[in-house]
Amino acid sequence: MEFKELDPILHAPLRLAVISLLLSVKEAEFTFIKEKTNSTAGNLSVQISKLKEAGYIEVTKQFKDNYPLTICKITPKGVDAFENYVKALQSYMHPNS
Amino acid sequence: MNENEKQMTEAESLSIISGMINHARNRFSETGHLYLLWGVVIFVCCITQFIMLYFFKNQNAYYVWYATWVVVIYQFYYLARRKKRQRVKTYPDEIIGFVWFTFVICSFILVYILIKNNSVNAINACILVMYGMPTFLSGIILRFKPLRIGGIICWLIAISAMFTTYQYQLLLLALAVIAAWIIPGYLLRAKFKKEN
Repeated sequence: MEFKELDPILHAPLRLAVISLLLSVKEAEFTFIKEKTNSTAGNLSVQISKLKEAGYIEVTKQFKDNYPLTICKITPKGVDAFENYVKALQSYMHPNS
Repeated sequence: MNENEKQMTEAESLSIISGMINHARNRFSETGHLYLLWGVVIFVCCITQFIMLYFFKNQNAYYVWYATWVVVIYQFYYLARRKKRQRVKTYPDEIIGFVWFTFVICSFILVYILIKNNSVNAINACILVMYGMPTFLSGIILRFKPLRIGGIICWLIAISAMFTTYQYQLLLLALAVIAAWIIPGYLLRAKFKKEN
């Protein structure tokens, strides 16, 4: 029986929520992610930075009506990491398969 | 331990993943506004042109279609405003945009070819064939049955349009507009209001 190691970057509630949300859309604004994940701006900001450092998401900063705007998008590396994470989860849930 | 780094069980991980994917999947962003607007404008143009041709024998009645340019200008303004307000871009939104863009380009080229070949009588039927395509595909992408039905009705009306004169094709076009734009537009608006 072989248990695959769970990616520590993704194996955290908020980071996993962000990646799962970004996987389903093309790109999303910071405020949208904050609303859907029910998180605080400070906490979300820290977790987004970690995902960005790992190369799992792309973060673009723009201005809209003189207000800063942060847009997040999942990268191919992030998609791969998510797929591997799900496979690892499956190995824990169905160890004999 | 920090709340963000706490150990999750496999079930908790799966619950977060499915919850977030559902959040994005259930987001219905089509308000039906443009379907309704175009539906009403084209309907009014068809009926007005028909009345002017049938009752007043006015051969310049096609001028009524210039009203659509006002709607085109409004549409640019509306889409720019919507884009500005949009906080998330989904793949279905993007694909639907390209489908309609393809329809507009193909329709303009087709109408130009038909006019050049003096096939004015076939314009309405060809436009209906073309129009059925984005309507049907939008129905598939949005998983919205009324649009799929609207697309099929357009194709059926296109076939029947070949057996009538230009004048009566205007009435068929008006009927197609009700089936493919006005009714789905109202239903889309109702669905959007319910889900947002």
